[in-house]
Order: sequence, then C-alpha cells, then structure tokens
Amino acid sequence: MGRTLKFNIFRFNAEDPASVPHMDGFRLEETEAMTLFIALNRLREQQDPTLMFDFMCRAGICGSCAMMINGRPDLACHTKTKDLPAEITLLPMPVFKLIGDLSVDTGTWFRSMNEKVRSWIHTDNRFEPGEEEERMDNALAENIYELDRCIECGCCVAACGKAAMMPDKFMGATAFCRITRFMVDPRDERKSDEYFEVVGNEEGIFGCLGLLGCEDTCPKNLPLQDQLAMLRRKMGFSQIRHLFSGK
Amino acid sequence: MLADETIPQIRPVRAEAWLEFVQVLTGVALVAFMWMHMLLVASINVDLGGGRVLNLIARFFEASDMTQIGGPLIAAVMLVHFVVAARKLPLRVREQRAIWSHSLSFHHTDTWLWVVQAGTAFIILILGSIHMWTVLTTLPITAAKSAGRIQGRWWLGFYLVLLPMVELHVGIGVYRAGVKWGLIKRASRKASARFETKLALAMIAIGLVSLFTFLVLTKA
Amino acid sequence: MGAGLAGERVAVAAAVSGFDCLCLSIVPPRRSHSSAAQGGMQASLGNCAMGRGDSPDIHFADTVKGSDWGCDQEVARLFARTAPVAVREMAFWGIPWNRVVAGKGFYYKAGKKYEKIEPAERAGTITARDFGGTAKWRTCYTSDGTGHTLLYTMDSQVVRLGIEVHDRVEALALIHDGESCTGVVARCLKTGKLRVYLARATLIATGGYGKLYRESTNAVINWGDGAAIALDTGLVPIGNPEAVQFHPTGIVPTNILVTEGCRGDGGTLKDVDENRFMNIYEPEKQELASRDVVSRWMTHHIRTGKGVPGAYGAHLWLDIRHLGAEHIKTKLREVEEICKEFLDRDPVTQLIPVRPAQHYSMGGVRTDRDGAAYGLKGLFAAGEAACWDLHGFNRLGGNSLAETIVAGKIVGEKIVEFLRGGETDFKTSVVHRAVEKVRERIDAVTGSSGKENVYLLRAAMGDVLMDQVGIFRNEADLRDAVEKLQAIYERSKKIGLRSSSVHGANPELSACLRLPGMVRLALCIARGALMRTESRGAHAREDYPERNDRDWLKRTLAYWKDDRELLPVLDYELPSRVWEMPPGERGYGSIKIIASEDPGICSPRPETN
Ligand SMILES: Cc1cc2nc3c(=O)[nH]c(=O)nc-3n(C[C@H](O)[C@H](O)[C@H](O)COP(=O)(O)OP(=O)(O)OC[C@H]3O[C@@H](n4cnc5c(N)ncnc54)[C@H](O)[C@@H]3O)c2cc1C
Ligand code: HEM
Ligand code: HEM
Ligand code: SF4
Ligand code: F3S
Ligand code: FES
Repeated sequence: MGRTLKFNIFRFNAEDPASVPHMDGFRLEETEAMTLFIALNRLREQQDPTLMFDFMCRAGICGSCAMMINGRPDLACHTKTKDLPAEITLLPMPVFKLIGDLSVDTGTWFRSMNEKVRSWIHTDNRFEPGEEEERMDNALAENIYELDRCIECGCCVAACGKAAMMPDKFMGATAFCRITRFMVDPRDERKSDEYFEVVGNEEGIFGCLGLLGCEDTCPKNLPLQDQLAMLRRKMGFSQIRHLFSGK
Repeated sequence: MLADETIPQIRPVRAEAWLEFVQVLTGVALVAFMWMHMLLVASINVDLGGGRVLNLIARFFEASDMTQIGGPLIAAVMLVHFVVAARKLPLRVREQRAIWSHSLSFHHTDTWLWVVQAGTAFIILILGSIHMWTVLTTLPITAAKSAGRIQGRWWLGFYLVLLPMVELHVGIGVYRAGVKWGLIKRASRKASARFETKLALAMIAIGLVSLFTFLVLTKA
Repeated sequence: MGAGLAGERVAVAAAVSGFDCLCLSIVPPRRSHSSAAQGGMQASLGNCAMGRGDSPDIHFADTVKGSDWGCDQEVARLFARTAPVAVREMAFWGIPWNRVVAGKGFYYKAGKKYEKIEPAERAGTITARDFGGTAKWRTCYTSDGTGHTLLYTMDSQVVRLGIEVHDRVEALALIHDGESCTGVVARCLKTGKLRVYLARATLIATGGYGKLYRESTNAVINWGDGAAIALDTGLVPIGNPEAVQFHPTGIVPTNILVTEGCRGDGGTLKDVDENRFMNIYEPEKQELASRDVVSRWMTHHIRTGKGVPGAYGAHLWLDIRHLGAEHIKTKLREVEEICKEFLDRDPVTQLIPVRPAQHYSMGGVRTDRDGAAYGLKGLFAAGEAACWDLHGFNRLGGNSLAETIVAGKIVGEKIVEFLRGGETDFKTSVVHRAVEKVRERIDAVTGSSGKENVYLLRAAMGDVLMDQVGIFRNEADLRDAVEKLQAIYERSKKIGLRSSSVHGANPELSACLRLPGMVRLALCIARGALMRTESRGAHAREDYPERNDRDWLKRTLAYWKDDRELLPVLDYELPSRVWEMPPGERGYGSIKIIASEDPGICSPRPETN
C-alpha cells in the first residue's frame, strides 16, 4: 500500500463546444482493497466533478462499467488497483458511441443487436395459465443459463479487431453467443435457416476472424470460443444439407 | 405494435457459407501440399547433398505428369485461396488504420497472429508466384539445378525470406482454422498453440537444413 | 418511469393489449438493479421434495407473518395466488429455471448435512431452494443469476413487442394539475436537455431508495427518485417510509452482499480480537438469529469499540474458514468469487470484512390494490418503488422479485382497464408550468453562488441515516437525526456547482437536482421512525421494544405539502381492510406484543374478493 496512483484519463464532452479530446492526469492515494469504482468516484467527488463514467451494481453483474484499462477492455468495478501498475490509463471503449469521457452508449448498441438477432423465444404456442410448466432437464436448463450469463458489457466487442474494422456492422461475439443460447433452447422453434438469415453473413459469424479477443477478455468468462465454432459449423453445414436436399 | 413474428421468406445469401468452406479447404489443401513439398525438398539431405534421392523423386513425379498437372493446379488453388481470403483483408485505409491501432494498443496474442497471417499472405503471394514460375518453367527439377539457384546469393536471400513466411502462415493458419471450426476447444487451446509453434519451428529448421545442404554440399 | 422488472412487466401488459408505451430509464434496461438479485423468486409450486404440499395459502401466511402484520392481506392473497402463474409465464418466455432432478441429494442446514430424495414423477418441473422465513422450499432460481435471467427475459419480450425504451433519461418531475397526472418532465443524460413526456397513464417503477443510506447493498443509482418525485407533488403519500430492511453481511468497502448461506452453513462472526460475540448476545440462535437481530447486535458491538478499524470505517469479520475448502468451493462458490474478485481475499484461509448495510425499502409510493397511487389520477406505481403493501414491515427474501412480476402483471392489466375507461385532457398550461419549475430548479443550481458541496451534503445525509436512523432506533437519536436532516435540507438550497462546464449530462448537476428530494425522503424516514413508538419487523425501537398492535397497527402515510416546510405531514391508515389472519406470533425474533383491542381485526375472516 501507500502508493500514489497516477491516472491518465481520456476527456471529451461532445456537448461542450469548447471541449477537445485530450488526456487528463490525476493523482490519488491508494487505499486497501481499492477498486477502480472507488478510485473513480473519489476523483469525481474530490477532484473533478465533471468526470463522466458509468457504474450501477459495482458488483460485476450489470455490465455498465466496461472501459479500456491500460489498453484492455474490462469491468472497472472488479478491477483492483493492486493488480495494476502505479500508472493507469483509462479510455472509453471504442466501437460504441462516445457520450463523454469514459462513458459510452452501450444501451442503443445492444438494443439494436437484440433486435437484429431477434433475441427472444420464437414459438407458436400460447401460454396457458392453468397448465403445468413444460418440463425440462436440469442439465439443459443449466446449459442455457451458462449461455444466458452475458451481461452485455461490450468488452468482447471492444476487444475484437473485426469490430474495429467494421464498427457499425459487425455483430460481435455477444450476438453469436446469444444466438446459440436460443439454438440450444427447445422452446425456441426457429430452424437453422431462420438463424442463418440472421447471422449467416459477413456481418455475422462468417465475418468473425477467430481473433479470440472476445474469449480472452469476457469478464464473465463465457465459453465464446466454443460457441462461435459451434455456430460456424451449424451455419456452414446447414448449407451443405441444402446441397444434398436439392433446395 | 407487435414486431413481425414470421421470418420473411427471402432466400438467405448462401454464398458466404460456401466461401467460408472454400477458404478453409483451400487453406488446408495448401498446407498439405506444403508439408509434402517440404519433405520432398528435404530429401536432398538423405544422401547428404548427393541429390540421387531428390532426382529420383522429381523424375517420378514428372514421369507420371504429376508436376506438369499438379503445379498449375496448386497455382490455381493458391489463386482461389488468395481471392477468397482477400475478402477478409483490410483493404481500405480506414480499416488498415483501425486494425493497426487496435493491435498496437490491445496487447493480445491471437490478434497479432492474424495480423501476421495477413501480412505474410501478401509476401507469399508475390514470392511464391515468382518461385513457382521459375521452377515450373525450367523443368525438370534436378538437385543440381536447384543447388545452382541457391548458390546464387540472390535466390538464397529469396528463400530465407519465403521459408519463414510460409511456415508462419501455415502454422498460424492451421491453428486458427482449428479454433474457428472447433477442432481446437477452449480446453485444448493452449496445448494446441504450443504444438503448432513447435511444428512451425521444426519445419523452418528442416527447411534451413535443406537450404544449407543445397548451398554447401550439393554440387551445381 | 423505470425499466426494471416491474416497469417492463407493466409495459408488456399494456403493449399486449395494444397500447403504445414507452419506458424511461436512467440506465439501459438490462442494467437495472433487478439484474443484481441472485437468490431467487418465491412461488408456491410445491414441486421439489422439500416444497411438497406448498400452496398459496402457506405462502400467504408466511408473507403476512413476515410483514409482522403490517401488510395488506388482500394484496398478499392476490400475490400468493398469482405468483405460480407468473413463474410459469416467465418459464414460457424463456427463463432457464433450475429443475427437479430425481434421486438422492444433500443439503446443509446450520452446518449439518441432510439427505433428501426427489421422486421421479416430478423430475423436470421447476424446483426451489430454501430461503429465510418460509415454511417450505419455495424460492425458484436460476443458479446464482435469477434477477439477471428474469430481467433479460422480460426485456426480450419488450424488444419483441417493439416497446420503446429511452435509456439515460432521468425523470425529474410529474406533470399534473392537482387531480390527474399527465406525464413527466425528464432530462436526457446524453445531452443534458430537458424533455417532456405526455402520457395518459404514468407509472413509477424506479426501484428502492437504498442509496440514501451511507452503506447499502443497492446499486449506486437507487436514490429513490420515484418516491421523491411523487412526494414532490404534495398530493401523493409515501407509505411506511420508516420500514427499511438491513442485511448483516455487506462486504467492506463496497457493500456487496454476501449470502446468508454463509451463516446458515455454520459461518461465524468475529470482532477485532477475532472473538465471537453472537453467542454472548443471542445464546440460543447465535449467528442464525434473523437478519435484523444479527444486524442489530453487529452494530451494537461495533459501537462498543469492538469493530476492526479500517480505511473505510470499522467493520467485523465473517469467518467461514472452518467450513473447509471443498464446502466453500462448491456450496458457497459465489462467496468465494466475490471475495477473490472484489477483495482479493481467499475465504478458505482469510477472514471476510463485513458490516450491516441497508438492503430493501418496504416503503414507497402508496398505491391501492390496483397499483393506482393515492392522490393523483392516472398515476400508478409498482415494484420496490411502490408501497402496494405486500411487505409491511419486513420483506421476505425472494418475495420482491416475485412482487415485481406479479404486481407488474396485475397493475399492468389495471392500467389497461383505466386507459379503456376514459379520455385524458392534456393542458399545455400545466405542461408549461411543470417545465418552468424544473428549469427554475436547474437555474437555481447553475446560477447559484452557494458554497455547499453536493457530495459532502449527500455523505452527511448518509451518515445521519446510517448512524441514527439505522438498525437500532431510539427517541434521542431520531430527534437529533431529524434536526440534522433539516439543517442539511436548508443547506441543500445553497449548493454551488463546482463544475467548470455545465454542458451535457454533467453528473454533478444531476446530483444537485436530486439531493433536495432525497433529503425530503430521508426526513420522511426519520420522522416516521420517530413517531412510531413500537418495534415492528425491521423497525426496531430500543425504547419501545414491544410490538404494539393496540396503537400502531397502522400504516404511515407521509406527505410533503409544501417546499418551504421542513417536515412531512404524517397521516395513518389501517394496513388492511381484510383480516384473514389476525395478528399473532411470528414464531421467530420473539418480542412482546401488546394486543389489538379491535374485534374487527382480531377474529379471522374468510377471504373476500
Ligand atoms: C444485492 C441484492 C440482492 C437481492 N436479491 C433478491 C433476491 O434474491 N430475491 C428477491 O426477491 N429480491 C432480491 N432483491 C430485491 C430486488 O432485486 C428488488 O427489489 C427488485 O429487483 C426491484 O425491481 P424494480 O423493478 O422495482 O426496480 P429496479 O430493478 O431497481 O428498476 C428501477 C428502474 O427505474 C429506473 N429509474 C430510476 N430512477 C429513475 C428516474 N428518475 N427516471 C427514470 N427512470 C428511473 C432505473 O433506471 C431502472 O430501470 C435484492 C436486492 C439487492 C440489493
Ligand atoms: C502456400 C500457401 C498458403 C497456404 C498453405 C495457406 C494456408 C492457409 C490456411 C490454412 C489458412 C486458415 C484458413 C481459415 O482460417 O479459414 C489461411 C488463411 C488465410 N490465408 Fe492463406 N495460405 C497460403 C497462401 C496464401 C496467400 C497467397 C494468401 C494471399 C493473400 C493468403 C491469405 C490468407 C488470409 C488473409 C487468411 C486469413 C483468412 C481468415 O482468417 O479468415 N494465403 N491460409
Ligand atoms: C508445384 C509447385 C512447386 C514446385 C514444383 C516447387 C519446387 C521447389 C523446388 C524444386 C525447390 C528447391 C529450390 C529450387 O529449386 O529453387 C523449392 C524450394 C522452396 N519452395 Fe517450392 N515449389 C512449388 C511451390 C511452392 C509454393 C506454393 C511455395 C510457397 C508459397 C513454395 C515455397 C518454397 C520454399 C520456401 C522453398 C525453399 C525450401 C526449403 O528450404 O525447404 N514452393 N520448391
Ligand atoms: S459476451 Fe462477455 S464480454 Fe461480451 S458482452 Fe457478454 S459478458 Fe460482456
Ligand atoms: S474477437 Fe472478434 S473476430 Fe471473432 S473470435 Fe471474437 S468475434
Ligand atoms: S458496475 Fe455493474 S458491472 Fe461494473
């Protein structure tokens, strides 16, 4: 302990005509069990009240606080200063629209992603209030949950070179993972072709270069590598089936 | 208010799926060829530069017309692979800038691997074409002829560049194809990467030994 | 207002009936605090072995007991009856509820291992886990992310139905003419611009007000905006503001919750000398006493100077080392993860720093059984922001997620009825006045030459509430707290902005606009607590330790009639119209009861509808 941390923080306020993008330096005494959540709030409350950043749950479950921490995207609230060098550089995540300083608009991005991949259970059944629930094997339920754990933080998108090259179009690992979540769910009646329609293209799974920045940064440790491969195979082979079925 | 629930019945663009297969299959085909090729060239080492084994093999391939047909075929596969894979390359200035600044700030091995693969691809395209043209227009292949080329300084430098480029591209390519299609799983990724690195280094080593043999032992 | 579980469930109900609706939220909907709930949601499905024989009747009884007879029994009935349907509906929409696995299994209670057998004929139905204060295992869950899956699934329906959500928009005031509410004035947190939203029906579903307190397990945006805005009208009361629940084990420094399971499985609490103390205060139940009891003794022990000093104030230790690595790594995995991820501590070999923290606000915008707020037509409330009054003076774990969805469903349908029932007039003059008022508030802050620092004031308020309106309450402290809060309220009118530029969202400006409302709400809590001279549920008076059904079987209604006032006006009403279950013993946290003398309350009556 007892270190003085030096922060280099990206500053820009798009709404202020006088603002130009630049880096600001701050100094802060490190305290025990300090996370970037504590550090940034202290900076705002004690040094610069205009500093913009987002936190919500401060417990690594809501996905609000992703930013570039010394070059890598991660959740600020679960990043301990102890694990960082004394000089810490914070940048907003790329790809997403900048709101100000470290704050980016992930809300709009994820809503449009969810619309694009039609991320809900598609079924022709109707809910019958009086009936018992459809049964499901517990192992399957846990498997779905495993894929449902994505917190839409955006780290996998910020860590993806393909998304950097194709910022407004490429869907990102989170979308692929979401699709596989519905694929394994028997309640969703969509067929391969319907999924193919959504992700079987350059903006989708075939645009993925296998860079695995997503896999290596996902703070929830979702099995992205394996899910992406599964999706690529499923989508690829569904077309081979078409060749043989002559359609 | 309700978003449209039925998926519109347009035929999806299937081309992307096929191109993806073509890319990986041509890649793998080229890899298979490159390994064979390396072994053939390495046969020069078997009799310590005597060239008898290599000549034998070369004659066999030519006599059975495999070189005459296979050579252009390989060239064609390479062309197809190039055309298909080039879709992925950042061709616009904006994309170039994006991927460079991304890779430079984001210290991440697998991202660099791709950058290296894309970079080596360009060099292979040019040098590989020159090489194939030279070899295939001066058939038959003999140990002496090859040694002659390599003992000329210019060609030596040429191969010293091409060899590591090819092996990097091949090594990375196999690993990445495995990752992308799921042959390499999360659990086996580290081990596979290590294996691929060793394999690539071994191939480079074999290539260097062959070049050395051509350079020093084989009589032009 | 609000795109958490409650807000979105109401929106879905309205959209399904063909109405246009729009959700406002400070954060993207899926980041709402509902996502943080891990434990689960109660519904009496009775599928699993330990839940066999469960029914809405038992759920109802548990809820009423839990509330210490402070809840509305009609609401509790309605709730218990609807919860199973709500859970199944969520399953239909895609929640991967954990399911019954046939065969032998084990569970732990008080550190001991027990065996249970699940019969094959129930395999694959939705299972449940054990939660405090329930007679049966009734809490449905998805591993450790129940709130997360619920909220994501709910939002998937919102996306499916094309319901618009404006995120990063903060409601600042209601538009009303003294009779009907016709929308809100809001501020965009991307651009900083004011916006007007007109609506025939307005819903407050803004969640709890935990962040008034210095230490709270709530998310950092749970400032109680909805309650503050409602209070601001002078017409809408806050029900039972003093009913605030605390949790014994928030970790220090960030107050992230670690589960009760730690103590349930045999974990112990220790002080600065690493000695246990719960065995002294509660020889019988020790660490297993109920949430509020443990929280109280922890606070007491810290006050006697036995806390562990630290950079973030004094705390105590939670010790689970003796449970062993295997147990911790399997049964208490979340705890291990939280410790490692946020504290860099290994609970297998190290102690965990904990202290009690605010956890849940039972109080909120007072509504009737249909979710319609008192005082204004066209205004509704649901979820933690509301005092529908399901929880009375103590909420049971797992009942609040259930409330958001059940209330959302019911209130949503009632709003649809309301919308079908008649027309609304929008008066431009009313809109104009509302906007002007908000603009004046902004100008007052930005143009102020005041020297008060908003963050310091907010911290001062948090200190007063935590230290004097916390777990233990007594007259002297409460009186003092009210005075201090009044002083803070006065000072809050002299806040000066320290920011160099006020363009855009400016977080400091947001805080300034919010603070006066927060302090008013804090005053409602403190004043309500001061006046209530009894102990009931989470409201514990040291000077009035008995539950007094004779004088206090009633619900507080706090109004703030005028900006210039320094105190809320308190009014009271009977907690329930129907007394299906007359007041009695809870069966835990035993205290003395002064019985009610009202015959209408004391004899049980059949359920009416
Ligand atoms: C750590 C923790 C664990 C919990 N675990 C459980 C559990 O296991 N089981 C259980 O039943 N309950 C649990 N709870 C309680 C439960 O999570 C909450 O009571 C419930 O989620 C509240 O939901 P809500 O929809 O009412 O509000 P929230 O989910 O808090 O949503 C509030 C919404 O209002 C919006 N909003 C707020 N202010 C404004 C404004 N001014 N303008 C516009 N929008 C605004 C927000 O953006 C948000 O969208 C837990 C709570 C905590 C703190
Ligand atoms: C002998 C020569 C070559 C061999 C053995 C070879 C092999 C491979 C392999 C196995 C892959 C992985 C396939 C995949 O990821 O789907 C690959 C990818 C690639 N190759 Fe080649 N290749 C060769 C030549 C070339 C040439 C000449 C180019 C031309 C520019 C090229 C460009 C690429 C690119 C850009 C990729 C990456 C594509 C992606 O990641 O999606 N390669 N190559
Ligand atoms: C059918 C086509 C090919 C034939 C017949 C062929 C033949 C040969 C021969 C005879 C040599 C010995 C050196 C010489 O004679 O100059 C050689 C070396 C080499 N070739 Fe090829 N080649 C072919 C295609 C390729 C391709 C496509 C590549 C890579 C893109 C390649 C890369 C190399 C390299 C790097 C060497 C040096 C080898 C070493 O030291 O191991 N060749 N090749
Ligand atoms: S997949 Fe992982 S990194 Fe990507 S958004 Fe989800 S949680 Fe974040
Ligand atoms: S980083 Fe990007 S390219 Fe694919 S493997 Fe992950 S999405
Ligand atoms: S603040 Fe919620 S994940 Fe960091």
